[in-house]
Amino acid sequence: MADYFESDVVTKDYDPRIMRRILSYLKPYKSSVLLTLIALALATAGELLVPVLVRRIVDEALVPSWYAVEPGAEGLVRLSGDEPRVGGAAYVAARALAELPRSERARLESEGLLGEEPCYVADLDAGGPDRRAAAAAAAQAAGARREGRWAVLSQAELRGLGPEQARALRARDSAYIARNAPILLAALAAVLAASFLHIFLSSLIGQRIMKDMRMELFRHASTRSLAYLSRQPVGRLVTRMTSDVETINQFFTDVLSAFLKDAAVMAGVLAVLVALDWRLALVVALTLPPVLVATSVSRTRARDAFRRQRQWLSRVNSYISERISGIAVVQLFAREEASRREFEAHDRELLRANLGEMYVFAVFRPIVDFLATLTTAAVVYAGAQLIGARLVSLGTLVAFVNLVRMFYSPVTDISEKYTILQSAMAGGERVFRLLDADEAIPDEGRRAMPSPLRGKIEFDRVRFAYKEGEWILKDLSFAVEPGEMVAIVGYTGAGKTTIANLITRLWDAQEGRIEVDGIPIAELPLAGLRRAIQPVPQDVFLFSGTIEDNIRLGPEVSEERMRLAAAAVHADEFIGRIEGGYRALLSEGATNISQGQRQLLSFARVLAHDPAVVILDEATASIDTETERMVQRGLEGLLAGRTSVVIAHRLSTIRHADRILVLSQGRVAEEGRHEELLERRGLYWNLYRLQFGGKTEE
Amino acid sequence: MLREYRTALPYLREHRGRYAAGALCLLVVDGSQVLMPQLVKRAVDLVSSGAFSRREVLEVCLWMLLAALAIAVSRFLWRYFIHGSSRRIEAAMRDALFSRLMDLSAGYFQANKTGDLMARATNDLGNVRQALGMGFVTLFDGVFMTAAVLVAMFAQNPRVALLAVIPLPAITLLILGFGGMVGRRFHKVQELYSRLSGIAQETMSGIRVVKSFVKEERFASDFSEANDRYAEASLSVAKVFAFFFPLISFLSGLTTAILILAGGRAVLGNAMSPGEIVAMLAYLEMLIWPMISAGFTVTMLQRGAASLSRVAEVLSAEPAIASAPGAIRGRPSGSVELRELSLTYGGAGRPALEGVSLRLPEGSTLGVLGRVGSGKSTLLKALPRLVEPPPGTVFVGGRDVLSLDLGDLRRAFGFVPQDSFLFSDTVAANVRFAVPELGEERFRRVVSIAALDRDVELFPAGWETVVGERGMTLSGGQKQRVAIARALAADPAILVLDDALSAVDAETEKAILAALLRERAGRTNILVSHRVSTLRNADLVVVLDEGRVAQSGSHAELLADSGGYYAEMARLQELEAGYGSGAAGRA
Repeated sequence: MADYFESDVVTKDYDPRIMRRILSYLKPYKSSVLLTLIALALATAGELLVPVLVRRIVDEALVPSWYAVEPGAEGLVRLSGDEPRVGGAAYVAARALAELPRSERARLESEGLLGEEPCYVADLDAGGPDRRAAAAAAAQAAGARREGRWAVLSQAELRGLGPEQARALRARDSAYIARNAPILLAALAAVLAASFLHIFLSSLIGQRIMKDMRMELFRHASTRSLAYLSRQPVGRLVTRMTSDVETINQFFTDVLSAFLKDAAVMAGVLAVLVALDWRLALVVALTLPPVLVATSVSRTRARDAFRRQRQWLSRVNSYISERISGIAVVQLFAREEASRREFEAHDRELLRANLGEMYVFAVFRPIVDFLATLTTAAVVYAGAQLIGARLVSLGTLVAFVNLVRMFYSPVTDISEKYTILQSAMAGGERVFRLLDADEAIPDEGRRAMPSPLRGKIEFDRVRFAYKEGEWILKDLSFAVEPGEMVAIVGYTGAGKTTIANLITRLWDAQEGRIEVDGIPIAELPLAGLRRAIQPVPQDVFLFSGTIEDNIRLGPEVSEERMRLAAAAVHADEFIGRIEGGYRALLSEGATNISQGQRQLLSFARVLAHDPAVVILDEATASIDTETERMVQRGLEGLLAGRTSVVIAHRLSTIRHADRILVLSQGRVAEEGRHEELLERRGLYWNLYRLQFGGKTEE
Repeated sequence: MLREYRTALPYLREHRGRYAAGALCLLVVDGSQVLMPQLVKRAVDLVSSGAFSRREVLEVCLWMLLAALAIAVSRFLWRYFIHGSSRRIEAAMRDALFSRLMDLSAGYFQANKTGDLMARATNDLGNVRQALGMGFVTLFDGVFMTAAVLVAMFAQNPRVALLAVIPLPAITLLILGFGGMVGRRFHKVQELYSRLSGIAQETMSGIRVVKSFVKEERFASDFSEANDRYAEASLSVAKVFAFFFPLISFLSGLTTAILILAGGRAVLGNAMSPGEIVAMLAYLEMLIWPMISAGFTVTMLQRGAASLSRVAEVLSAEPAIASAPGAIRGRPSGSVELRELSLTYGGAGRPALEGVSLRLPEGSTLGVLGRVGSGKSTLLKALPRLVEPPPGTVFVGGRDVLSLDLGDLRRAFGFVPQDSFLFSDTVAANVRFAVPELGEERFRRVVSIAALDRDVELFPAGWETVVGERGMTLSGGQKQRVAIARALAADPAILVLDDALSAVDAETEKAILAALLRERAGRTNILVSHRVSTLRNADLVVVLDEGRVAQSGSHAELLADSGGYYAEMARLQELEAGYGSGAAGRA
């Protein structure tokens, strides 16, 4: 029972071994992963391209500015030579100026060769020959200085123009915008396609991996030994295969995919910032430490708050569900009021946990938003100074403002992603713990099953314990001859049921030998052994499905054999009366048929599989006398002509037995026929009077 | 939809102050947010004019920080007020729901599965909370934010603003259409998910059968097929999602492109300043979220309404069984009488009980025998009004049970139900369930009568052993014995054992019965059993058949009626025992 209540609380935040193991499931999908990464890179690049394009449009078309470089500067700076020249001065674009080496610009400034005011240089030819006149007229109206195709205006002169004239003068800028708009659209479309591919492919990989993992878990769990499985509540095994795997899926889709995307965007933004202007990038970097602090503080706070929330939520929910299931007991003992009080106390704790989680996010998110604005303000302030110093263009500043926004948007939900990462780690740990469970019955039998099996069974000094040190069987020895029916009786806990578990190797004995037809069972193939020797358990387990499904358990049993088996145990009688017959659906827990009918189905199931040996564990539950008779008739059909070991709870069974073994404290205490044993007035005699309602008290 | 929200009205009224404060904070956030691009615009225009002083820029930046501070504080506060209220309302509704469930009668729980009621207490309340919290916020914030941003944009340049916002309504439409599409696919996914876990659940529950019949492969192939189908369906949802969010980004990018084209033209024509285009860029970004959330808000509010009506169904369900007004207080004594008791379950064609009459004086023991479905359990349940008998048919302590206070009536009984349901608490707490203040001496006494002490004291954790879900760590017999001790704890006037020793071995059963009857001398007992050997301890035995009393009398009288069911049963059971001894005699 030790691990029945095994705590599922995982304390570690991040375990690289679990991470590596989760990631190892990616191996079969290498090419898809590669494609996903390419799509991710494309999508990110496209997203980053948008602000860069906007910056270019701002600088080149919306707010282009030039500075006059007076003649005589040729020796100080290298000009390309194709700058517009008006009145002897060369006009250098602000962006080109910002790119000049610091020393060169300083020289220009100190020599007084650089114009103070930014001005606008219009290209009068840009609109083509027919628009030239209109452009020239506009330049004229604004009072521009002209030389050839160029006209120079101050910013104020430019602003003073009416819409028509301004547009005529700025034909080059219109053309620039028109040229770049399709590029912008193409970038957006590329982002759309690449993002779709990226998200879809990561889901695809995630789903494939989940499928693999679930199948692996199912196969692994169903091949573990009962020694292992009986320690695991079914609910837990199912959770491993379903919801735990789902949390790992979340890891792939939400964390690995989205997180990578966020990280790529954030890194990309930083890279673009540095490429655009390292000074402003430095300003951004200086404002980051508080973000890091806030994130890491909120991360642990959020984790703790989330844990408390989950813990109380599950407590409250299981309290409700249990009180509903046990409502009759609550009402019978008039505990409604007490339950209410207890529930309200639980619910208050849950509310506190919920509010705690709310506070964490209520504090963290506004702080991050505030820090984003702080960064923006710092960038604007520093950017303005740099523009004033002609070190940075306006477009760069605008791009920075946009990029900072892009940078901060993933930060707000980083702690949520972190929580998902944690629950995926926890899920992974639980899943791997199941996959690492190596308790299985070794199937190393090299010898062929004797065919036909005669059915001789021999136990020789068998010792067995379910739990270490608590021996159930101590030196158990007995033999069952082919065709014999042996009944085993004994007090509860004498180890009767265990015998069936050992012969069919649902458990392996620790010591001693068990042989079938003279061959140790460990040397026989497991599947063959189990097919040949079949237990009929006390509690009949029926699967949801039809009666037919439950007898045949798969296509190996033909329909005809199923019918014959059902007839032999007299199950056909009640099946015929049920609507739908063999095709009738058994409801959950098979409550639509009686206890006795369930027993008969179980007999029919075993008989249909035609084992050489049957180990029958009779039901102890008290059933009414009529049902008992029905079961009795079925039993006769089942056992006819087979070797059988019956763990007997009914008088009629021991009467029919060829031999009775009386088990006590894990050994055979007495052995013989019913009458002989009664005469001995020993253990059996005593047991008989108690268990089978024999005459009065002593 | 508004009609459903009436259920939430009293709760909302209680929190109206917080909601008002929250709404005010939202307005501050919206106002400050709309201000922000204006500040950026001023900064850009200052810079692009080429003539600006350091102080002017600094001033703008400080205003930005001030606005950001107002936003941060107000954001914290609206979360505090609104999310806090919605969480509190959720908790209050959960309390109310639970409280109501405690009073509802067995019939209600038969008509409503546990899973469904749980869904109301969890998912539905969650949806209500979402609607009253996030739903309120997105609705309020969405409307005001959108209005404020649109006003700001149109004030700047109506033509450019109009062109740029064209793609935005498409986002809302997309979300609404998307909701339906995903809903259908998601439904399929959930169906397949529960099928998948159903197969896993069943295989693992029946693993002994699976292994014994060497059917591992067959079940694995069932699982594999369900697994494939589930993965496929999940992918079809993923495909929609994969397209959805990039499409939204695309549409929002489209607004940027339109703005650059149309706004660029305006700037070139001196109709707009460069700062204004930058501000518009920010405004457009601020509109994306309200457009997305508009779609979600509709879904959230609809879902909240549907969930509220499901919650209201439970809250407004009237307990079918309750104390009558002016019910008589005080525990009744232990005499029981039935007068022509007939009872038919709703929907059943045949009455479960028909004309049952009997008298059981205080201090005597009644035995009940009958086949499965003969009405035994119904008879027992009618006594403490777990099912409602007609007036004037069931009397406890000489009074019609319908006239007694329900709690007092039930406290007169100690009931050991057939399924011996235990709570996942310690064994000690389960024994003390009805009487938490049970003294140590009495505790020792009842666990010893139930022969529980020798088992439990061997457990490593003893009485503090936690009973697993539905008593998983205890054997069936141990559970039954805990249930017996629980019923004995309050020393009830009437003890009822509904076939409560079926999983206890014969030896222990005998010991328990002997101790029990000694302890109960002078008090009333009702025993239901299949075993004549148990029923012989009764002063009066009733044999039920198809809801009618087929026979009644003392053990001896019934035995004497050689044609009767009781005598036949006794003979059969005796015969088995007798055959044994007879055979022994012959040998």
